[in-house]
Amino acid sequence: MLTLTNVHKAFGSNKVLKGVNLTVEKGDVVAILGPSGSGKTTLLRCINFLERADKGRLKLGEIDISLKHAHSKDVLAVRRKTAFVFQNYSLFRNKTVLQNVTEGLIIARKIPKDEAIKIAKEQLDRVGLSDKYDAYPNQLSGGQQQRVGIARAVAVKPDVILFDEPTSALDPELVGEVLCVIKALAKSGITMVIVTHEMSFARDVASKVVFMDEGVALASGTPKEIFVDCQEPRVKQFLARFNNEIDYNI
Amino acid sequence: MQYKNYSSILDNIKELLPYLSLTFQYVLLALLFGFIFALLLAVMKLCKYKVLRAIAQIYTTIMRCLPSVVLLFVVYFFLPKFSREVLLIDIDDVPKILFVVLTFALFLGGFLSEVMRSAYQAVSKDQMDAALSIGLTPLQAFIRIILPQAFYYAIPNLANTVIYLLKEGALAYTIGLIDVMGRAYQMNTLSYSVYPIPIFVALALIYWPLAIVIEQLFKILERLMNPIKEDKKTAGQKLKGFKAKYLGFLVQTPKGGAEK
Repeated sequence: MLTLTNVHKAFGSNKVLKGVNLTVEKGDVVAILGPSGSGKTTLLRCINFLERADKGRLKLGEIDISLKHAHSKDVLAVRRKTAFVFQNYSLFRNKTVLQNVTEGLIIARKIPKDEAIKIAKEQLDRVGLSDKYDAYPNQLSGGQQQRVGIARAVAVKPDVILFDEPTSALDPELVGEVLCVIKALAKSGITMVIVTHEMSFARDVASKVVFMDEGVALASGTPKEIFVDCQEPRVKQFLARFNNEIDYNI
Repeated sequence: MQYKNYSSILDNIKELLPYLSLTFQYVLLALLFGFIFALLLAVMKLCKYKVLRAIAQIYTTIMRCLPSVVLLFVVYFFLPKFSREVLLIDIDDVPKILFVVLTFALFLGGFLSEVMRSAYQAVSKDQMDAALSIGLTPLQAFIRIILPQAFYYAIPNLANTVIYLLKEGALAYTIGLIDVMGRAYQMNTLSYSVYPIPIFVALALIYWPLAIVIEQLFKILERLMNPIKEDKKTAGQKLKGFKAKYLGFLVQTPKGGAEK
């Protein structure tokens, strides 16, 4: 359903993506793993045109466009079929929790206000925030903010939700509540691409794991293929600590 | 020779107050045009074209480093001459206040463009990303998400600028505009400088509360725009209290009006 081919992106002389390919089928939960600076976040941002790639094609449903030369109309169409959950939540600071969710419904999708509020409340109830409709983002904990972020993304009924390290800014306790919500979404069949450092989460929830390093997708497959069977040395090295094989002798 | 007696501060205030309307006129007009001009400059400063950015920056630097009285004289003495001799249009009959408005609009352009630029840049970039990601167009994102937040960041500097303008505007007397300051000078001359202290203390007593009111209004505005609800509530109550206390006569409904 979502296909990326040969994505290149450089910031100045720093080449971040060097020809990444990615295929996501409907209902897939794709986890993208890899060391910091390997281009995971940039790849995700390129899909949503928050960054303009230097090269590459994007296929999403009937849309088939160049990532570099896409017309602003197509960009808008892609953005309205996808949703993004940010590492730092990025809730609208000038809007209440409820307004954060209804904004995309009323303004971008032109859904009548009453109906938008109904949908927003449903989604907020689903992430366990039914008592926070009228709170402002800076009155919430990080975990609550991220759950609003997820509700905001789910409410617009996107074809695919892109998660950019949704738990990296949270303490271990709050990570749990956010992962719980994402897990429930995964079970409900929503297509998701998740950039994460939560290895056990990727192993247990993802239907497909992609390992990225130095701007390329080094390996991809089912969680078992990556976590257990993968013979690629870089992947083994990266997963060593998770697999408890770390060598503490320097 | 007979001269006037200006020994009473209270009488002086009464004498000066009517001239305040002229002060308000040029302050409001200069703010209006200055704001529009500043918006243009701020857009230039934030655009991707180097030349436009440089022009806006140089303009701001020039305006910042120029004493306002110099600009006022340039505008008031040079512009009519230029207009008459080069453009062959006689603008000698144009009211003085317009020269004052033009001068301070030119000044505020530079000042406010910096206020706007810094406020815009104070809004974190992820707000734009988030707005775009849920499918808003860039313009919708700017108007609905960025602008309200940027405005909040700009309020303290806006308050500064308005008070600055109120005081700098007093220089208008140097080209003979009889506003509240001009009238004070006139009174001083009429009385052969016998009562400078009662006259200028009266002037101070007019400017001072005015500046305080402006300051407080902006503080209320800041609380109203604050993205925390509790604060909004208290600010709303304060505004109501303020209205009831000082502006009660304005909002009083005539008795019996409810029956209709």
